[in-house]
Amino acid sequence: MRRAQLLLVVLLLAGCSQRYSAPGLGDQEDPALSGNGRLLVSVVDRGGRRSLRLVERSTGRELPLPGLRQGQPHRSPSLSWTGRYLAFIRQRGTRPEAVLLDRLSGRLQPLALPNDRLPERLSLAPDGQQLAVQVLRRGQLDLELFRLPALEPDLPAGAPLP
Amino acid sequence: MKLAWTLLGLVLLSGCQGLRLQPLMGVNTRLSTPGDDRSPSMARQGVVWIAPGPAGQHQVRWFDLASGMGGPLPGLNRPDAQPISVSVDAKGSRIALVRSLDGRTELLLYNRNLASLRPLMLVPAGVPARVALSADGQQLAVQVSRGGRWEVEVMRVP
Repeated sequence: MRRAQLLLVVLLLAGCSQRYSAPGLGDQEDPALSGNGRLLVSVVDRGGRRSLRLVERSTGRELPLPGLRQGQPHRSPSLSWTGRYLAFIRQRGTRPEAVLLDRLSGRLQPLALPNDRLPERLSLAPDGQQLAVQVLRRGQLDLELFRLPALEPDLPAGAPLP
Repeated sequence: MKLAWTLLGLVLLSGCQGLRLQPLMGVNTRLSTPGDDRSPSMARQGVVWIAPGPAGQHQVRWFDLASGMGGPLPGLNRPDAQPISVSVDAKGSRIALVRSLDGRTELLLYNRNLASLRPLMLVPAGVPARVALSADGQQLAVQVSRGGRWEVEVMRVP
């Protein structure tokens, strides 16, 4: 009886998580979720190329990310509330570069860090108005915060405007 | 004509420079620590990250942007544990953590309001690496190693 109860608990717990593999994909790493978890972005290995994969979780459908073919490998993705903004790091030659994709306009823009800093990891605030960056500077990893004043806030549905 | 070319050049250059970032100068100087700071995660009014502790070990820290001060995380950090990845929800009330302790790597959820820490079980078992909470704090995505492969899974955290 006890064993049956344990099995039930394990089955219930197993049912609480979802995995997102697909044919042809290798390792999946570095996940990030949109505000309510509707969208999942991760870095996937596609035949040796490490690129971002955005999935709508309710359907399992992969959503297009136009303009992201250049500058692989990608890493450290971060999504805003609705998933409108996607910040990540891409490789430009020998230098990593932080970039932001506005999925509403399709515009991909570099995030211009001060010259002596190289981005290592990113985290976008839920409303897209601030960005935390782990930067490599003079051989040390530092945390720096930035405002993104040019971006329209990305708020959850029904939230009051700032 | 020369003016037109100059204007065109300026427009093109401004496009190349990318999106303007304004450093939070007063905050950044207070976040700065000797040693490596890693794994930042932004809430609406704060940030968590892994910073060097006073005795050389790493620990999770919380900085409140509204008050401009760091805040305590009672019960979260242990001197014998090594934090690996950390993520916070938008309110700054839930913190997901992957840490190494006694040769094991574990996934945990910390409630800042209750100062409570509880483990989250991976089924089937796996070794967690990076973790990400949704901004509403209801879902958690984790990178897990199973059978020599990295997988990503999402779980609900009630």
